[in-house]
Amino acid sequence: MYWRNQLQISVLGAVAAAALLAPANAQTQTYKAPRTADGKPNLNGIWQTMNTANWDLQGHSAQASLVVPMGATGAEPAGLGVVEGGEIPYLPAAAEKKKENYASRLKLDPEVKCYLPGVPRATYMPYPFQIVQTAKVILISYEYDGAVRTVYMDNPGPAPVDSWMGWSAGHWEGDTLVVDVTGLNDQTWFDRAGDFHSDMLHVVERYTPVSANVLNYEATIEDPQVFSRPWKIGMPLYKHVEKNAQLLEFKCVEFVEELMYGPLRKQPTK
Amino acid sequence: MQRCCSGAVWGAMAIFLAFPGSHHLLGQGLSLASKAASKAAATPSWIPPRTAGGQPDLEGVWSNPTLTPLERPAEFAGKPVLTEQEAGAYVQRHLQEVNTDRRDGGAQVDVGRSYNEFWRDRGNDLVADRRTSLIVDPPDGRIPPLTPAARKRVEESQQWMQAHATDGPEGRSLGERCITWPTSGPPMLPGPYNSDMRIVQAPGYVVILIEMIHDVRVIPLDGRPHLSPQVREWMGDSRGHWEGNTLVVDTTNFTPEYSFHGSDANLHLTERFTRVSPDAIQYEFTVDDSTAFTKPWTARIPLNKAAGTVFEFACHEGNYALTDILAGARAAEKRAAK
Repeated sequence: MYWRNQLQISVLGAVAAAALLAPANAQTQTYKAPRTADGKPNLNGIWQTMNTANWDLQGHSAQASLVVPMGATGAEPAGLGVVEGGEIPYLPAAAEKKKENYASRLKLDPEVKCYLPGVPRATYMPYPFQIVQTAKVILISYEYDGAVRTVYMDNPGPAPVDSWMGWSAGHWEGDTLVVDVTGLNDQTWFDRAGDFHSDMLHVVERYTPVSANVLNYEATIEDPQVFSRPWKIGMPLYKHVEKNAQLLEFKCVEFVEELMYGPLRKQPTK
Repeated sequence: MQRCCSGAVWGAMAIFLAFPGSHHLLGQGLSLASKAASKAAATPSWIPPRTAGGQPDLEGVWSNPTLTPLERPAEFAGKPVLTEQEAGAYVQRHLQEVNTDRRDGGAQVDVGRSYNEFWRDRGNDLVADRRTSLIVDPPDGRIPPLTPAARKRVEESQQWMQAHATDGPEGRSLGERCITWPTSGPPMLPGPYNSDMRIVQAPGYVVILIEMIHDVRVIPLDGRPHLSPQVREWMGDSRGHWEGNTLVVDTTNFTPEYSFHGSDANLHLTERFTRVSPDAIQYEFTVDDSTAFTKPWTARIPLNKAAGTVFEFACHEGNYALTDILAGARAAEKRAAK
């Protein structure tokens, strides 16, 4: 009976999730994306999310800035959440660690130190990114910190080594670009709320054109050391249609020197 | 592709330690590439292929290590090109001089050489035409003299750096701070390692991923104007167009803190990329900055097709050295005060 209830709940959950995603799916079926010269859906462009997932993947209320002098300019905007089913399925010990991360987020969030953001976080940071598509590789260049990924379309084999932005292998499933990301280190977070992972993280991303200026983005996240089951996030990516749109520099290393090295400055002699 | 990093950023090395074979591969790639480059010079009628989108094809991973210095050394004054024999002798002598695997010189020198050949990828030959400088104009192969104002600025900056070398991060070089590298460009020069780049081309764009220090140059080809002068960037603002089979890239809007061999915020850089064979691009850049240099100057560097890929260089993330340099200086002060 217990299992049957669980099953019903999960079926209901799936139905609810399907309902949420329905408009996008409906469009997927009818929309045929323009093609590149080699006949693949054309994902070239400058894209950006329009949500607050980088503050917290889960639904959250607005709240005050952690840095008092910043007042409203540093406050956190509310968000509906982008996690399918609403909750990230942490293992018990990991749930505790997430709480600790949250409590110390100003100190521990790698974004505060201008570290490379990892995947999928790079996608929904509040900065644009550009997809540069060729048949053999797809380069994704992010404005934040000059971060970049090379998506190899010709089966690059297993990740040779762990890195911040991981090792990305892509293939097409119909009009969807599927990117399998492994080789991610354990240093990045998913958001500013302390959501984290281990170096066992495996991310499968799906980029699907659903209209001329919108891609549907989904990422399935798997990490048996931290989560009880794989879970999924989803959100639209919007194309920058400004004629003069271009990625600008956000080389933030310079901006965190006082934070990281200020305490080591030479003190004026008394 | 290569494994390493700045003298300051040992932390980033760990990532690259896992690639004992990559140096070997790179070496092979280079020697094949230089042969191809000389062959191409002899067959100027070679027509470069096109990308699927119809641009002359510059795509792939390219590498530029060479022993040819940017400026002509004094010993070769008046001698723009070496004979084969002279080149061989120079290469042998030079490699011996800079070799960090040498053990002569005593303990202190040994410590200085601990950043040894394992990490390096400086090439093992001159450019194929045996020039004595990468600079081809002016004909003396030297960077033209700075204007008096620029000389004053550069000298003052050097003096400030020396006086404040360990006072805070600003006393260290931009490279040690992982902000930008003197070789990562633009323009891209051969460096001690990581002298690799990947070029990809999409409709309306040429994009260059530079391994040192994970920088990406997105170059629009649609003829749009440069950014407004208020927007300044470490890598400048690049616009490209094709002249025949040559990609010409104009870059302006450099941040005033960026200085390429003495340049200032007025730097106008013109780069020309021409595929001259399946395995080589001829890369040429002209530095034009009338407030800094008494005349423009031009250098030419071959980019050779390389095996492998461009790996992540997480410079800042592994920068333990900057912390250690400053902490060490503070500890030394404390000890001296006792």
